[in-house]
Amino acid sequence: MSIATETLSHRNRAIQGLEWLWQSVRTAPGPSLAGLIALSLVLFAFVVPLVISSSPFDPANADLLNSLNPPFWSEGGSMVFPLGTDDQGRDLLTALAFGLRTSLIVGILSVIIGLVIGVSLGLISGFAGGAVDTIIMRAADVQLAYPALLLAMIIDGAMRQALGTSRDTNTAIAIVVVSIGISFWVQYARTIRASVLVEREQDYVAAARVTGRSRLAIIALHILPNIMAPVLVIATINLAIAIITEATLSFLGIGIPLTQPSLGTLIRNGNNFLQSGEWWIVAWPCAVLMLFVFSVNVFGDHLRDVFNPRLRTRR
Amino acid sequence: MTPILEVNDLTVTMKRPFRTLTALDRVTLTIGKGEVLGLVGESGAGKSLTGAAIVNLLVPPLRQTGGSIALAGRRIDTLSRDDMRKVRGREIGFIFQDPSTSLNPVLSIGHQLIETMMTHLPIGRDEARRRAIAWIDRIGIPEAERRLDQYPHEFSGGMRQRIVIALALCAEPSLVIADEPTTALDVSVQARVLQLLKDLHGETGVAMLLITHDLGVIAKMADRVAVLYTGRVVEIGPTSAILNSPHHHYTHGLMKATPTPNMQTQRLDAIPGSMPNLAAIPSGCSFHPRCPRSDATCRDHLPRLSGVESGFACWHPLSAGGTS
Amino acid sequence: MLRYFASRTFQAVIVLFIISLIGFALVANLGDPLAALLSPDATEAQRAELAASLNLNASFAERFLSFFGGLWRGDFGISYRTHEPVAHLIWDRLPATIELAFASLILTLVIGIPAGVHCGVHPKSMLSRAIMFSSIIGVTLPTFVAGILLILVFAVKLAWLPSFGRGGVVDLGFWKTGLLTASGWRALILPAITLSLFQVTFIIRMIRTQLLEVGQTEYIRFARARGLTESRVWYLHALKNTLLPVVTIIGLQLGNIIAFSVVTESVFAWPGVGLLFLQSIQSADIPVISIYLILIGAIFIIINLIVELTYPVIDPRVLRSR
Repeated sequence: MSIATETLSHRNRAIQGLEWLWQSVRTAPGPSLAGLIALSLVLFAFVVPLVISSSPFDPANADLLNSLNPPFWSEGGSMVFPLGTDDQGRDLLTALAFGLRTSLIVGILSVIIGLVIGVSLGLISGFAGGAVDTIIMRAADVQLAYPALLLAMIIDGAMRQALGTSRDTNTAIAIVVVSIGISFWVQYARTIRASVLVEREQDYVAAARVTGRSRLAIIALHILPNIMAPVLVIATINLAIAIITEATLSFLGIGIPLTQPSLGTLIRNGNNFLQSGEWWIVAWPCAVLMLFVFSVNVFGDHLRDVFNPRLRTRR
Repeated sequence: MTPILEVNDLTVTMKRPFRTLTALDRVTLTIGKGEVLGLVGESGAGKSLTGAAIVNLLVPPLRQTGGSIALAGRRIDTLSRDDMRKVRGREIGFIFQDPSTSLNPVLSIGHQLIETMMTHLPIGRDEARRRAIAWIDRIGIPEAERRLDQYPHEFSGGMRQRIVIALALCAEPSLVIADEPTTALDVSVQARVLQLLKDLHGETGVAMLLITHDLGVIAKMADRVAVLYTGRVVEIGPTSAILNSPHHHYTHGLMKATPTPNMQTQRLDAIPGSMPNLAAIPSGCSFHPRCPRSDATCRDHLPRLSGVESGFACWHPLSAGGTS
Repeated sequence: MLRYFASRTFQAVIVLFIISLIGFALVANLGDPLAALLSPDATEAQRAELAASLNLNASFAERFLSFFGGLWRGDFGISYRTHEPVAHLIWDRLPATIELAFASLILTLVIGIPAGVHCGVHPKSMLSRAIMFSSIIGVTLPTFVAGILLILVFAVKLAWLPSFGRGGVVDLGFWKTGLLTASGWRALILPAITLSLFQVTFIIRMIRTQLLEVGQTEYIRFARARGLTESRVWYLHALKNTLLPVVTIIGLQLGNIIAFSVVTESVFAWPGVGLLFLQSIQSADIPVISIYLILIGAIFIIINLIVELTYPVIDPRVLRSR
């Protein structure tokens, strides 16, 4: 309603602080829980491979005697393989951790790529203006013609041809990372550019310029802190999209090669056993994928509402 | 004679987790038939809130939790949603502050006028259209027939506000609430819009609750004036009486902070400090931390309004001439 | 008015030109058409002949112009994988994809718009809460997982509907349709649902947010203050203001539907363009990939153009502000 903070007594401030805390706990128990779930899954993915050093996907570790075991509660299941095993006798619990780890690495790296490209181009576009700005923003428009998934597929296909048969697993993963990451830059660039255009006109930036600060210093001191929040929100939601895209690409057989576990390759592999009744092989990775993406989305949505309810990108 | 509007002990609150904030505290005012009551105060004092509460358009979590509102002797704060809707526009018109946001951008102004009249008056489309053209003409926009089918963005700010006024009055209400009707306008067009409002008031005899922070507007328009501070009426009475000899130190302060044409030599004095927010309304007389005359009584005891038609809420009122 | 149309159309043509350039750059720089199209033991003369017919020795600009001209004549080049004309390959598969895309678009609009409007107008009703909760699931569920689950339930467990293919197809000469046979309709159900699942939830959330936002504006408050009925306030005043972004998004959705048809077609072995595209990627069939890229771009641009040309009808401010 009104101003007058100086008349606020300390007691009142304390009460307002308490109110804020209570409000966030009361209004956002879901997002808090979602964040916790996402965090636990990340820990699971990175800790298990440390404990079990040899990958279940090493052909030397194939255990055909224990192939296609159902989960422990079904007939024929055991606590040795609590979630069952696949056709190669791999323990699905371990496989999930390895798979989720690959998916997370791909997801995080591609978000970073998109973020770095997008923030740089957004800053350039906003500060340079003129033809440079026009070209960058037109490029953004053109790219928007292609949904992220489609773009990733096209880049993946082109890179396959460009790199020919010399691809090894790591190259394949790098291709996936780049092809997913590139589609993300537009959102960052637009947000940053808009923010730069607003901030550029602010008195304090003009003042900083008059006092002889370089553009870079102005960016670092004034603009970057202002755009941290929206960038963080976009990055969170992009992580969910990246993980879905990786899984989709790998499921379609054009992402991560089948020799490397990821959520997508696990589902692709498990899908072969869908018709014959070994449902658990496909069900677990699907469940983990959905749980993780769901948690990240809920958490990201909440972040967005907290930072700025009007952040949605519009055309 | 029954007043057209009687607001009695109107209390509006906002619920927070640990306490309830009071936005309007037992506001009491009356408006006679054809009378103009000015409502003044700083922003945040609850002026607009009073207007919104009268037509039951409070935005949650704000809620009326006490008092009564009667229109021509009939209570309207207890009406059902649909009955209240029929009061709005038909019996109480509402003029919004900012004409650049209060007109629907994708509907022509003719459409908005015609639908408002057809909602409330027993007339057909042709008659409504005829009246709409007459209204546009009446508010001083030339080529009314052609402009009827134009959209809000095709009009200037001043014209838009006149359209807003026409929209508020077109269903012939007996009371109109004008919430800062000229604040958002260029100074150059403020006078014309104000004059239009005055003319229409003269022609239709509509009673008016004129909400403003501008004492100049009050002096020009209002028969009586009520001064609001932190959601309380601190002074009410005939305009000339109050402007000539205010009793409350807050009213006095407001006047000293307002420039008038014949005071070139005098300097403007701002009231020290600023109005507290709802979460920290001082005890006793809420003005006491900013008042030059406050003492222990002011701090501990809430002064009551000395009269409903004309009165003030102050322990140490100013006498005529501006001294205590 | 005319200037607006002209400038929009001109921009669309420019973008189309750029996309064709990118598509051609792919064909020109990636892969070796001679190696792809000829058998390894082809003679030097055969190689020279093919190089001449493909105009390989000309400059990049010349080759692009002839490529660009070819696009307008329906000459899309030759597939490295099947050695057939790309135009023929795509034309053969197009009806399947278009029927699938339109089935899911209709499903999306018929379910999404009423549900979205309800959630926006009555955000606190039980039905709205239920819709919003299930929509989170829809956003979370990746398309291919949704497809797998639907197959698991309706094809494997219940055996009600087929899990792959298009069912019976009738050849109308210019168009092979699955809509004239019962098995064709049955085969369409699961893929169409899969494809529309995400779009439906997206549209619901979009319309809801838009309506909630418009509901807070001054002109809606003023409409209420004039005593207009709630239904008039919502369905005329509020809805008309949300139309612009909603129409835009629905246009963009069609692009998304086509993209995700790749996934859906793969899960259900639906013999459409998407499946063709996927096979082309797996075998690095650059001519098909580049034509697909141009085609999708063209579809998107044309839809976008249509949407933009309808703006002035929806919102009178558009002509002035641009």
